[in-house]
Amino acid sequence: MKLIKKLILSATGVLLGLGLQVAVAAPSGQPIKVGGTLALTGPLSATALIHKLAGEIYVEQLNKKNGLLGRPVEWILKDDQSKPDLARTLYEQLVTVDKVDLLLGPYATGNILSAVGVAQKYQKVLVHHTMGIPSLVKYDMQFPAWSVGYDPATTVTNTLLDALASTTKFPKTIAIVSSKFPSVYMMSVGMREAAKKRGIKEVLFLEWEFGNKDFGPIASRVKDANPDFIFVGAIGLEGNQLLDAMKKIDYVPPMQYFMYPAPGPLAKAPGAERAMAGSIFEQHPPFTNNPLAAEFVKIFNERATKAGLPDNAVETQAAASYSAWQVIEAAVTATKSLDDKVLAAWLKKNKVDTIQGKLRFDGPSNFGDDLLRVKQVQNGHWVVVWPKEWAAPGAKLLTQ
Amino acid sequence: MKLSAPAWIALVGLGLATVPFFGLPAFYESFLYLIFSAIVLATSWNILSGYSGYFSFGHGAFFGAGMYTTATLTSKFEIPFLWTLPAAGIIAALLGVGVGAVVFRLRRLRGELFALLTLAVTFVLATIVLNTPIDGGQGVPLTAVTLPAILSSPSSTLYVLGLAMALLTLWIAYSIYLAKLGTGLFAIHDDEDVAEVMGVPTYRYKLIAFGLSCALAGVAGGIHAMFISYVTVGETFSIIVPLNVVLMSVLGGTRHWLGPAVGATVITALLYGFTAGDYPVAGRAAVGLILIVVILFMPEGLLGRFIPRLEGRRRKTTAATPVAAAPAPDAVQASSETLLRINGLSKAFSGVQALDGADVEVRRGEILGLVGPNGSGKSTLINMISGHFRLDSGSIVFDGVDIAGLPAHRVAQAGIARTYQIPRPFAHLSVLQNVTLPAMFGRAALGRGAAESEARYWLEFTGLAEKADALPGELNLHQRKFLELARALASRPRLLLLDEVLSGLTPAEIDHAIATIRTIRDLGATIVFVEHVMHAVMELSDRIVVLNYGKVIAEGKPEEVMRRPEVVTVYLGKPHA
Repeated sequence: MKLIKKLILSATGVLLGLGLQVAVAAPSGQPIKVGGTLALTGPLSATALIHKLAGEIYVEQLNKKNGLLGRPVEWILKDDQSKPDLARTLYEQLVTVDKVDLLLGPYATGNILSAVGVAQKYQKVLVHHTMGIPSLVKYDMQFPAWSVGYDPATTVTNTLLDALASTTKFPKTIAIVSSKFPSVYMMSVGMREAAKKRGIKEVLFLEWEFGNKDFGPIASRVKDANPDFIFVGAIGLEGNQLLDAMKKIDYVPPMQYFMYPAPGPLAKAPGAERAMAGSIFEQHPPFTNNPLAAEFVKIFNERATKAGLPDNAVETQAAASYSAWQVIEAAVTATKSLDDKVLAAWLKKNKVDTIQGKLRFDGPSNFGDDLLRVKQVQNGHWVVVWPKEWAAPGAKLLTQ
Repeated sequence: MKLSAPAWIALVGLGLATVPFFGLPAFYESFLYLIFSAIVLATSWNILSGYSGYFSFGHGAFFGAGMYTTATLTSKFEIPFLWTLPAAGIIAALLGVGVGAVVFRLRRLRGELFALLTLAVTFVLATIVLNTPIDGGQGVPLTAVTLPAILSSPSSTLYVLGLAMALLTLWIAYSIYLAKLGTGLFAIHDDEDVAEVMGVPTYRYKLIAFGLSCALAGVAGGIHAMFISYVTVGETFSIIVPLNVVLMSVLGGTRHWLGPAVGATVITALLYGFTAGDYPVAGRAAVGLILIVVILFMPEGLLGRFIPRLEGRRRKTTAATPVAAAPAPDAVQASSETLLRINGLSKAFSGVQALDGADVEVRRGEILGLVGPNGSGKSTLINMISGHFRLDSGSIVFDGVDIAGLPAHRVAQAGIARTYQIPRPFAHLSVLQNVTLPAMFGRAALGRGAAESEARYWLEFTGLAEKADALPGELNLHQRKFLELARALASRPRLLLLDEVLSGLTPAEIDHAIATIRTIRDLGATIVFVEHVMHAVMELSDRIVVLNYGKVIAEGKPEEVMRRPEVVTVYLGKPHA
């Protein structure tokens, strides 16, 4: 009996040992090359560095757990210097010279469109993470990992108005001020329509050119219009600049929403308390209930601090980037293939679990659901407040 | 067999045209396209800004005008892509010529003001495009526009078009460089006023150069719109475009037709060389450092540094061009016939009356001495005859034709040449080129070869033959004065205006100069001679005119005039005894 017990224990030990060995086995063979560019230098570089960090973390994690198809993954990353023409040429190089197996998109709409052109030419799958104007992409093997739906100008703005409708202070008047940066401007125009349909009176619509630094006159006009709600179609630090200008004239708007802010600086800005913005991910439950997300948040926070990024939190940008890698991994793992057509066919038929939620690609131009939620600065931190199922524990949309 | 530059351009072009047939990865086409595009932009910018010195920071505007023309015509009007390219060039050219037609008339808008103004044009155009249906703020996508397949694939079309544009631009830049237009533009670069006085139609030349420069940038923009396939205002009208273009041209050398192309190739390749994702910022910093070092140690650019050395070596092995026996400026005998008649000429500067109803007559074949104390209006008179200043009232009739109000280059072409009291040679042109230019643009209107031969004759005449290849900066004052004289004579003038040509010279040099002027007079030239060196005036002049406070106070034979009490008073003051 003792012998049998010994044998069983030994066999179990061997099996467990083998099993463990399989679990931690280093990937081997020719690396699978994933190619892409980011705007590591140039005007878009601040945000692109977040994507670089997220990608590096993902590849590191992937290779720790046996890579893709048992092969190590190598990320060939190039700097497109924020230029669409260079992006196009670099993607040509990735496909025709570096012979990458898979393509990951660059940062920003213009560069993504350049990359899509190359992917289409060589019939490659392109997974991208920051396409701001979905209607511009027509290629059937491109897949967006930033899930804002095909018509974000309608869906995102209505999500916001739904959130406002859940409070007791649904606005009667609205001021819309917007940068003429294409993807932002599109949303501002969408907000006009959405507000009109909900019976909100537009008391002001103002535009500025991207790169404007003087927000004083805009702040004064907003103050004069005295709206219940301001929709700020700002990108990056423009939102902070407008807040500063409003503070200088002692104006605190009742409610304000910023389309694509620089989240870290905005949360810390005076006058930003209870400001709203869109987000696909924030580093709190229920998002971090996903162990992968929790682990990613932990590592990203550390690395971002070490890298000296102005904000070390995981939010939309980092999450979109991480999701793009998840999409690639899911398709390759499920199909056990690197064939672009096979991967594309699978992606169109299946949903992919990502840290921002389930993504589907069966809508127009392969866009699925709009997963952009509403977040709000509360006590100096961003928390998702709408829809309720994605709200931080105990958080709800606060009005003045 | 030595190939000419156009033959080289054609040969290289033919070679590059075969690239799509080699089956190379398409990346190479794409990369070369980027270089071609940069070559077109830098070289086209250089046609105005490098050659004439009118630094434009508005090249992005003309490039952008081309991009939006093609984007609008293809996407909104469904005009086939290739048909939009001429339109892109024309729109950009019209924009440039429209701006130039206003700006080039204003002397104060030279230098940095011109640069700032062209930059402002970029912003104005961007604002218009952004706030009208041309863009409207959402950009113009071209992904649905069909690209025709000229060679093996549609993308080869962009490669071939880029190559063709680069070759065409280089050929145009080369042709202008060698043509009269190029010579005129280089003169404008060094001293626009002097160029005009030597017969260069500066306004027209600048407009032509600007128009061509903009047209080429516009066509390049049209092609580039399809290359990137999504046109937005922010990226199109960015300051980066003109900055890169200026940097490329300066690096390669703005005074050579090929310089900007070399700079464009080097910078595009360098920037591309640092696209690896590991150390992008360090890479960009390295590129910046390389450029700073090159520009610091080679301010004249790569070609500006090396080409003169090569040419110097070549010159040493080449026999000197034989000097033709050029004709005299205008071989006529002195007579009583009037060549120039000035009546009631007045000119005031900010209330100071420089000339006040002056009447002067110059007879054919004589030397007329123009004397008077400082500020009496002598140089103003010379400036007005040569067309440098517009008159307030009066008339200037030259050989029966009223030349008052004519632009200076027309006056020069009519046969009036002048020297400057303080020599104003074209600093970056050799001594030979300095003298060749008026022979091409002045009354002689010779072709380049004949003009050069003429120039060599006058350099020999003035004792500067040995200095033909030197730059004016290498000459002493005496030689620079004689360079002024040689330039004036090379245009074969009918009337020569010498403005204090003897000032600052040593007594021995003055004697040499007097002998030279006498020789010119013996050749039958008509000369107006402004001078303070009285013994030279007395020795050389057939008649003299004395000016004081802008009025003619005496006229006649030198000995007779200088004895008149009013003239003595002007020079020596009133006796108080």
